[in-house]
Amino acid sequence: MILFAAMALAGGALVGLSRQVNGRLARATTPLVASFWNHLVGFAALALVALVALGWPSGLSGVPPWAWAGGPIGVLFVALGSWLLPRLGAARTALLVIAGQMVSGAALDTLRGAEGMGWRAGGVLLILAGVAVARR
Amino acid sequence: MPESRALAVLVGLGTGALLTLMLLSNAEVGRRAGPLAASLVPHATGTAVALLLLLPGRPPLAGPAPAWAYLGGLSGAATVALTTVAANSALALSGTLALGLVGQVAFARGADRWGWLGQARAAFARRDALAALLIVLGSLLVIRGAA
Repeated sequence: MILFAAMALAGGALVGLSRQVNGRLARATTPLVASFWNHLVGFAALALVALVALGWPSGLSGVPPWAWAGGPIGVLFVALGSWLLPRLGAARTALLVIAGQMVSGAALDTLRGAEGMGWRAGGVLLILAGVAVARR
Repeated sequence: MPESRALAVLVGLGTGALLTLMLLSNAEVGRRAGPLAASLVPHATGTAVALLLLLPGRPPLAGPAPAWAYLGGLSGAATVALTTVAANSALALSGTLALGLVGQVAFARGADRWGWLGQARAAFARRDALAALLIVLGSLLVIRGAA
């Protein structure tokens, strides 16, 4: 259990690491160029894993067209992260992106009629208060 | 509040909302074609789209940066592996999300504090600590609601 918890913590830290590394490249090039390298290198690494260990995925023909949007959205996501870092600093960037993710995710869950409305409402209120404090 | 700060705050929130849409798309890919595809497919389409967007301006693809700065994608790929394993343990998705959030904020704070990877050093005012507390606590409640 401690091992899995450490993996989850490290997963989060790696999100931050990735943003810092891409931000460093963006400073020498542009946020879009840095996003390009991030996706190319990530693709190469994952393709290697697929070929060597896990096998090339099948069932791609069943993926609905809208679900292919994740890649283009990711390009924008990575580029904006690089844009934000020098303007807000690393901690505020992380916190605001998390806030946006949580509030939009809570809205989506509510639209889908998911349970846990009370928890979500309380959480969103706290997050919005935090954003109001952070924007000063 | 300076105008540029307000804009950056809005962009930050919007970037987070993009992440929700991205995870929604990639989860659907994963549901149909497995967890590896959920990461491999968006990296492939993302590479293609970024290249298309770069074509008109033809900016140089390299600049005065250390070699490691080109390897951000490795960290992203490793994240997928770690969180996939963790989410399939007793932690489940909610526990993985909650701990990942803490790891992410702690790392970012370290980057500001010690200037890791070329990040400009930044102080952490009492106001920033309060904002962090509210946002992390609120996020944990939202995650709890989805568990």
